[in-house]
Amino acid sequence: MPKELHKDICEQEIFSGIYNKYSQDLHNFLYYKYGEELNPNDKAQDAFVKLWENCKKIKLNMAKAFLYKVANNMMLNEIKHRKVVLRHQKITPRDYTHETPEFLMEKEQYFKKYQQALSRLSGEQRVAFMLNKVEGKKHKEIAEILGITRKVVEYRVYTAFSILKNELEGFKI
Amino acid sequence: MDKEYLIEKWLTDQLTEKELTAFEALEDYPKLTAIIDNARQFKASEFSSVSNFDTFQKRLKTDQKPVRKLSWIKPLLRIASVLVVGIAIYGIFLFNNTIKVQTMSGEKIEIELPDASKVMINAQSEVKYNKRQWEQKREINLVGEAFFTVAKGSKFDVVTAAGTVTVVGTKFNVKQRDSLFEVKCYEGIVNVSSKTLSKELRAGDNFRLSKGNVHFGQNTNEYPPWLKNMSSFQRVPFKEVIAELEIQYGIKIALEQVSSEILFTGGFIHNNLDNALKSVTQPLNLQYRMDGSDKVILYPSEK
Repeated sequence: MPKELHKDICEQEIFSGIYNKYSQDLHNFLYYKYGEELNPNDKAQDAFVKLWENCKKIKLNMAKAFLYKVANNMMLNEIKHRKVVLRHQKITPRDYTHETPEFLMEKEQYFKKYQQALSRLSGEQRVAFMLNKVEGKKHKEIAEILGITRKVVEYRVYTAFSILKNELEGFKI
Repeated sequence: MDKEYLIEKWLTDQLTEKELTAFEALEDYPKLTAIIDNARQFKASEFSSVSNFDTFQKRLKTDQKPVRKLSWIKPLLRIASVLVVGIAIYGIFLFNNTIKVQTMSGEKIEIELPDASKVMINAQSEVKYNKRQWEQKREINLVGEAFFTVAKGSKFDVVTAAGTVTVVGTKFNVKQRDSLFEVKCYEGIVNVSSKTLSKELRAGDNFRLSKGNVHFGQNTNEYPPWLKNMSSFQRVPFKEVIAELEIQYGIKIALEQVSSEILFTGGFIHNNLDNALKSVTQPLNLQYRMDGSDKVILYPSEK
């Protein structure tokens, strides 16, 4: 659609399209990297507000990069070395007979340790790992989003995984 | 095939058929896949998500209210911010966050740092650290001798005039007096760096830098003896023994016709001066006499 590239993104229809396309992923990126206490929903929207304010200056194909950069900077401005703790789903007992209370307790302890281990990762390691393994994003895509090379993404995912593996060493699953 | 190599390729979805078989045959295989599967329990969408476009639009409208009429506010705010900065700087000097702990002769103190690390400070020593910055940067200055039990966390630096010791969660003793720089590692791994070298010590290793001479050795005890109110020496120049005796008892020692470089092996306790003086003089066939209440003179025994 060559026609759209010449239009600026200040039009409602185009802008809402951009919002619907990128907002969820941008939110997830902020959530994984910085946790939920710093309100990733708010910050994601703030980034879009900024995009709207600058809609005349930014082309459609630069919108995604702009959004990620702005959102990341907003977060960095606010936090100073806060510890990020991601929530995990509560363990609910199922109907299987082999899930004894001891087993559930161990599982709860496992996830507590997992949560701690995730907090120990740097924001960059954590976001690369979660976007790749939980959100299913390819290394190449993550590299584009973060403005780094694919090799660096691979390295961060590998390092994050190694740290998790070491921290969870003692558990029998 | 190398396990780490297989893991690397698995993480990037690049395993060949042969490699996949090898990977699945690994003993750790269930644990490794579990880590990835269980990561899903932390998925963002279960706990937080972004608002839809309509909600966003409402926000856009409220954010867009311009306040252009108040153009006199900006210069006023600028003046106010300068004042605030001035007060803040004054406040920083007023509410200084540097903690300094000093010990006198014969005194030992144990302190706890903001992250629960512990420092046992030997006599006539001083440590200094910034309590506000501790969470970000664990750096402590030392003059003298202290034993550190470091809580696990980010790296921990002990800075002395002769060199820096960097650790992550371990137990070690640092001694820096005059021209002596000595580090003994009792647990974990410690990295020592001075102007001329950088070396890693493991549990049981020690390192001495004295007047440009470097010596690496093994600890003879599991804890530094001074923690139990004793000092023990293995072939060290006598003057070091004298210096420690002076520090522990707050006395001055003078040597008459005795070499301070002679090598001494032995020890002394910290709570009985007579006993200590005997322990130090007998092995070298010396005698002592008191000159006032806090001066001692050592001289050779008649043969």
